[in-house]
Amino acid sequence: MKEQILRLPAEQLFQKEIDALIAAETDPVPAGWKMSPRSVRTYICGGKAGKTVITPKYIGHERLVEIAIATLVTDRALLLIGKPGTAKSWLSEHLTAAINGDSTKVIQGTAGTTEEQIRYSWNYAMLIAQGPSKEAMLKSPVFHAMETGTIARVEEISRCASEVQDALISLLSEKRISVPELNMEVPAKKGFSIIATANTRDKGVNEMSAALKRRFNIVVLPAPADLESEMEIVKTRVAQLSAGLDLNAKLPEDNVVEKVCTIFRELRCGETCDKSQKVKGTSGVLSTAEAISLLCNSMALAGSFGNGTISEGDLAAGLQGAIIKEEEKDAIAWKEYLENVMKKRGAAWSGLYKACKELV
Amino acid sequence: MKQPYIFGIRHLSPAGAWHLTRFLSEKQPKLVLIEGPSDLDDQIEYITHPDTRTPIAILAYTKEAPVRTILYPFAEYSPEYQAIVWCKENKVKCRFMDLPSEVFLALPSDLQNESRGEEERMSVYDLLDKQAGEDGHDTFWERTLEHAEKTEEYHQGANVFGEHIRAFSEGQERDWPELLVREAYMRRKIKEALEEGFAPEEIVVVTGAYHVAGLLDETAVAMTEEEVKSLPGKEAKHTLMPYSDYRLSTRSGYGAGNRAPAYYSILWEAVKRGDYQYMAECYLSRIAAYQRKSGNPVSSAEVIEAVRLANSLAVLRGGKYPALRDLRDAAVTCLGKGSLPSISLAIADTEIGTRIGALPEGVSNTSIQEDFYRKLRELKLEKYRDITAQDLSLDLRENRTVSTEKAAFLDLHRSFFLHQLRVLQVSFARTAAVKQDNATWAEQWVIRWTPEAEIELVEAALKGDTVFLAASFALKERVEHAAGISEIAQVIEDAFTCGMAEAMVYATAGLQAMAVDAASIVELAKTAHRLSTVLQYGSIRRLDSEPLIPILQQIYYRACLILPGECICDDAASKELIQAMEMINSAALAHEFLEEETWIQTLTEVSHRDDLNTRLSGFAAAVLLERGRMDNQELRLEVGRRLSIGVPAELGAGWFEGLAMKNRYALIARLSLWESLDNYLGTLEDEEFKRALVFLRRAFADFSAKEKDEIAENLGELWGTNSQQVSEVLNGTLGEAEQNIIESLDDFDFDF
Repeated sequence: MKEQILRLPAEQLFQKEIDALIAAETDPVPAGWKMSPRSVRTYICGGKAGKTVITPKYIGHERLVEIAIATLVTDRALLLIGKPGTAKSWLSEHLTAAINGDSTKVIQGTAGTTEEQIRYSWNYAMLIAQGPSKEAMLKSPVFHAMETGTIARVEEISRCASEVQDALISLLSEKRISVPELNMEVPAKKGFSIIATANTRDKGVNEMSAALKRRFNIVVLPAPADLESEMEIVKTRVAQLSAGLDLNAKLPEDNVVEKVCTIFRELRCGETCDKSQKVKGTSGVLSTAEAISLLCNSMALAGSFGNGTISEGDLAAGLQGAIIKEEEKDAIAWKEYLENVMKKRGAAWSGLYKACKELV
Repeated sequence: MKQPYIFGIRHLSPAGAWHLTRFLSEKQPKLVLIEGPSDLDDQIEYITHPDTRTPIAILAYTKEAPVRTILYPFAEYSPEYQAIVWCKENKVKCRFMDLPSEVFLALPSDLQNESRGEEERMSVYDLLDKQAGEDGHDTFWERTLEHAEKTEEYHQGANVFGEHIRAFSEGQERDWPELLVREAYMRRKIKEALEEGFAPEEIVVVTGAYHVAGLLDETAVAMTEEEVKSLPGKEAKHTLMPYSDYRLSTRSGYGAGNRAPAYYSILWEAVKRGDYQYMAECYLSRIAAYQRKSGNPVSSAEVIEAVRLANSLAVLRGGKYPALRDLRDAAVTCLGKGSLPSISLAIADTEIGTRIGALPEGVSNTSIQEDFYRKLRELKLEKYRDITAQDLSLDLRENRTVSTEKAAFLDLHRSFFLHQLRVLQVSFARTAAVKQDNATWAEQWVIRWTPEAEIELVEAALKGDTVFLAASFALKERVEHAAGISEIAQVIEDAFTCGMAEAMVYATAGLQAMAVDAASIVELAKTAHRLSTVLQYGSIRRLDSEPLIPILQQIYYRACLILPGECICDDAASKELIQAMEMINSAALAHEFLEEETWIQTLTEVSHRDDLNTRLSGFAAAVLLERGRMDNQELRLEVGRRLSIGVPAELGAGWFEGLAMKNRYALIARLSLWESLDNYLGTLEDEEFKRALVFLRRAFADFSAKEKDEIAENLGELWGTNSQQVSEVLNGTLGEAEQNIIESLDDFDFDF
């Protein structure tokens, strides 16, 4: 059965590592947690548990991970903010996987999310037939988390309407949920908390109220600091993703990853990596996550229609698709980049340059 | 042999200071030896004076130029300082035991940096940073030793720390020989104390943790009498001076580094209270208070959350209490909403602080410092003695509403004083620009006291006993070493702004003695300009500038005489000459005793002669025009003559460029001028036109849009077209095709 699932939750994917960490535990474990804060850090940032090697899940900013973990130790809610593709959801998923062994209590924030989805709703057939009862109640992931003393995740909180966001305020400050229909109040067990993520690109869509913001500790996740760490992230993630997808293609070689990361970084920062030249930016975010999906995409192209090795043509097609989001403007920026930067990079880049040039 | 107690410390360590006093109280020694130059013992009593406020520093400086200095800063939480205080309270003898400052000052400068060569050891600390993990050795030290609650823990821990650094770097550092010499000397001092009759257990030695192993080494010998005599030495003096938190923080190389002096003060308070939690509460509350004061609401609940977060961060790192790193991260997360920039000012204020030290009256050992502080009091400038820059506006005029003469000219005397400091290159005050309309009587200063300023002041002590005397000495020196007359003129101007009549007379004599004949026109013009300024504003500073008049006259005539001859030059030199002409012109305008006709004749000559640089001729014409000494008729003739066929195009255009440099309004208003220019351009051949274009473009480059509008109006008038359209063309940016044509002119061959 397992093979049929497209994407396993983190706690199943890294079951072995989590078990090893729990087995090797020496530090005190907070109430409701599966392992100590230090082990959580090891799980996320990599290291060793006994003889098992723990692969790093989040690369680059160890201190931010520490702040995030320390926040959850203090029963405060955690808000991860960052540009799209800076591994907010990824980090939130792995945090809950390590802390609770369960990363599936998720509410996806959308414009259509309602207050019931945050608190609870009813099985209306049963409600009408039998009147309000515990059985007729449909508990939200947050409700479940409160009952079990675990952590719930709210994705893209700033996409929700403000009244839905406000529903969280009382949950976070009172730490209890009331069900007036049943004349009942459910207090949160120790260990309950919420990890929310918000996107800086959506700023202003549904600005979070000061009252809600105040209930979160805010950690801003930056884009990877340098080319090396970004390459490492991309390589690890591409390997993990493609292993589950049967792409029939070889993993991209280092120089391919380097090229993609370089192009993305340069267009993102508006200057070349050696800071010698200004580059016109594009409308897309060109995040690390996009680089990862671009490479997987190219692998799929190579596996399905090519010889299994990513060719420059595959890469060029992927690049163009990722970079040119708004036809007119981005196409110009991309062309300029090809002529002014890539063309002058010499032999190593000439193949890719030609392939891109053909497509534009 | 039994050894005295040796207590290793870090130079700025609150926990060290606290544990050291406990150690002293426990051991009850009869003598305390402290690592510090042994000839500075006399300062100890002032350090503990009740009116002394830390941070302070002992400054030792050589008596001869070039002045070299060394500094020994003390914060309240310096273990050395607390040891001295303890000795005073318990009436125990206290001495410094390191090499005398005179020896330090004589060491080659690459070995002896201001902070006793400790900066050299940075490489070791860099290595240590890598070893200590993400936070570097500072946080390592903080977590392990600053948070050590037992005296014994600290004592042992510091020793181990020092020992390891020593083992790590032994013999590799550039100042290693110096360290050995210092330790030999310190051993000698200890030996002397033992010979005096103090029992080993009656002595406590306070020294950097680094030296503990060296001093305990049984095999090492003490320095002998002969060796002491053979040490190099430079005659030196020393003084106490106030110091600042800011300066402490910038001296991160100082042994144990202290990047956050104000935070360390909080730590000191916490250590004294025996309540380490106080540190987190105080630090975060201060940041919150600063944020509120600057208009960013921060709630107490957020501060509470920040304290909790800091604590759990510390636990994650294996510490008992939050270190600075944890506190800062907690502040950013909870109070700064995740972004450092939004609270960086609050962090700087809380960590570095703005405190400055103070000394009781009569303690500063240089009379110039005494004089400086006396003057500050007299002139009511004391409140400006602050680490934060403050503005001071002065009105040099007599204040007629007050009774005493002193009060009436308070601002003038302040100005004199501040200018004297400026002459001494003491960076206490600097001038800021003043608006034109009150430039004659107003001055704007920005004043900021820094330890650097104090050091500069002490350095100036060699020049004289008071600020006034030192300044006049400095000015005299400048007269003696002056290379040209304009330098002396600068001295005269300085003496004048400083209100120093004597120096002015001296400099004036120096100017007269110098051969005016040898000076170039540019030099003459600069001199004339300076003297003219002094004469113009002389009355406001109540100084007699009469003696300058004959000198200025002499320079003025000389300048007029040689100007035409100097105008034969290339375009590069013409810029300087134009400035010179401008300066002479304004001097001539300002003073009636300078005969105007002489200047006009000179200008007319320059304007008329054909063999001079045409730009200068043009400029001379512009000056004449401005002064109303050239009428329309003359101008038309001149334009016709300069811009006629046969004259090489660049000469004509160059002339016009000179003409257009001044008084554009007068030019624009003269329609006939534009008519001639228009006619002239019409007569040019294509090739010649290109040549002329380059120069004309330059001439019009810095005309404003409004001026161009007005020219357009003129041209429109001439051509009978709509001035609006012409203006659009003149003000519009260049199209690509036009740009290309202009670029092609870059390669244009100007040789002919």
